[in-house]
Amino acid sequence: MTTMRPSQRHRPRRSPRGLRRRKNRKRLRFALFLVPAVIYLGLLGVYPLINLLLMSVSKVDAGNIVQGSWPFVGLGNAGQLIHLSDFQQSLPVTIVYVLVVVGVGMLGGLAAAVVLEQPGYLAGAVLALMVFTWAMPPVVLGSLWKFLLLPHGLVNSVLMGLGLDSQPIYWLVRRVLALLSVALVNSWAVVPFTALVYRAALLDVPPDVIDAARVDGATGWQQFLFIKLPLLLPVTLILTILTVVYGFRSFDFIYVMTYGGPGTATTTLPFLSYRLSFINYNFGLGSAVAILTILVVAGLAYAYVRITRRTEGS
Amino acid sequence: MKLRATTSRVLRFAASRLGLIILLVLYAIPIIWMVATSLKSNVAIFANPASLVFSPTFSAYAKIWTQGTLGTAALNSVIIAVSTMVLTLLIAIPAAYGLDRARGAFLSVGLALLVLFQMVPQTASVIPLYRILGTWKLLGSLAGVILADTAMLTPFTVLIIRPFVRSVPVELEEAAEIDGAGTLTSFVRVVLPLIANGIATAAAIVFILAWGEFLYAISFLSNPQSYPISALISQEISSYGTSWSGLMALAVVGSLPILLVYIVAQRRLASGLSLGAVK
Repeated sequence: MTTMRPSQRHRPRRSPRGLRRRKNRKRLRFALFLVPAVIYLGLLGVYPLINLLLMSVSKVDAGNIVQGSWPFVGLGNAGQLIHLSDFQQSLPVTIVYVLVVVGVGMLGGLAAAVVLEQPGYLAGAVLALMVFTWAMPPVVLGSLWKFLLLPHGLVNSVLMGLGLDSQPIYWLVRRVLALLSVALVNSWAVVPFTALVYRAALLDVPPDVIDAARVDGATGWQQFLFIKLPLLLPVTLILTILTVVYGFRSFDFIYVMTYGGPGTATTTLPFLSYRLSFINYNFGLGSAVAILTILVVAGLAYAYVRITRRTEGS
Repeated sequence: MKLRATTSRVLRFAASRLGLIILLVLYAIPIIWMVATSLKSNVAIFANPASLVFSPTFSAYAKIWTQGTLGTAALNSVIIAVSTMVLTLLIAIPAAYGLDRARGAFLSVGLALLVLFQMVPQTASVIPLYRILGTWKLLGSLAGVILADTAMLTPFTVLIIRPFVRSVPVELEEAAEIDGAGTLTSFVRVVLPLIANGIATAAAIVFILAWGEFLYAISFLSNPQSYPISALISQEISSYGTSWSGLMALAVVGSLPILLVYIVAQRRLASGLSLGAVK
């Protein structure tokens, strides 16, 4: 399933009763190694989440976010949110955005993995280029694509040069087009990742299974469809969750390319929580949206943990 | 029969070659355009942003350098990325070791919490962190950004290093302990050298992510003088009348350290990426 196979698990052997106490003491000593992480993540991970929860039921603005107290408003923020048109619009935007990133990102990754599985210098070079693209700062990639998608930019020039279009397309100006454009660029950025994971899984398919199928007369397409694809199912499941989380959390590309606009056309739920907080200075309302985004992610994290535990067989 | 097999093989070869070329176009052209645009004058870009025929000039680089923003921004980026990398590793390496060896409930609960923390949207954590760093008087300082970046990247780093710890046989440590070494000594002398690969992988990824981070930077740093390059790009692009050549020059400079890390750690990145994801 992965490119690196850590050697088999070394479980401590079952110990006679006398040794058990020593083992327990030992476990406690190992737990001491966790202390720095527990303290750090307690202060800068858990404590912030408690604060966020408090803010989501309080009235918090620029004046009292750092100093002063937060007046309790209970579910007031949530009630206000339901009637907020920006919030209502952000729901379909988020769904479309995630669907495009997952669909294009996964299918593109699978296709790229199949293409990159072949040996040869060119495949190696393309893979290297894609890994480098993944490593590039998202803010750079987003700016770059904003430039390429200008009305007189490269994308339109190519389309018009090929005669596919007679007039420049306003990619980031038209509402639906802007949403699709940013989501597609985001998919483009995630394909190197999904391709790498799929490629590792393809290389893990036992060659004798493929040989057996070939002897039985299966064509290359049949081998892929009936042997490799079913074997890719567990990876696909995990990868889907990770890509949903990735697309859902996405902030960099939206911020750089459209800033949530035009209007609210590209304002996804996480982007809305940022906008409400740091542009409108309504931190209470922003926190309420942020809590909602965390709930979404918590459900996905739960599914991820369940599935990985099962496929790991432990 | 034989002919059909041959034609299908030829077809398959042609299809995969075509696929490679499409991938090459999709991933090479944007980066080539970034470099090319950084070498154009703004006049040439305004005339035709898509053209590749132009006389190259380094004026964009000279301009961002003389404006004085580039030097400070690069320095800020280095301070943030390197400090975050060191701090994250200091916390995550022992945690990965303790988590794996303690086993039982520690392990399963710990892993689940780490997965959850890793997935929390940055747009959610930035709100309370603004408040907390504010009460700690750390808004406006690079230290605040470093602390926040470390909190964001630690869970992920533990998850990457843990499988490497798991592959170190416990028997090796037990042997060291029979020779009189304590848990700490055997961790430092036996385990650390054996997980060096994992640590290097994690270090490269943490550096890359901290280098590219800009949401915490633009939210916690009030003065653009203390912006790292990533934050500078994000502000530059949303301003009116973007100077594209200057922006692309900034983007090229901001990508150079990533290229460096990439050249050093290419294979590790590729494997660490799929390892951290699936395990």
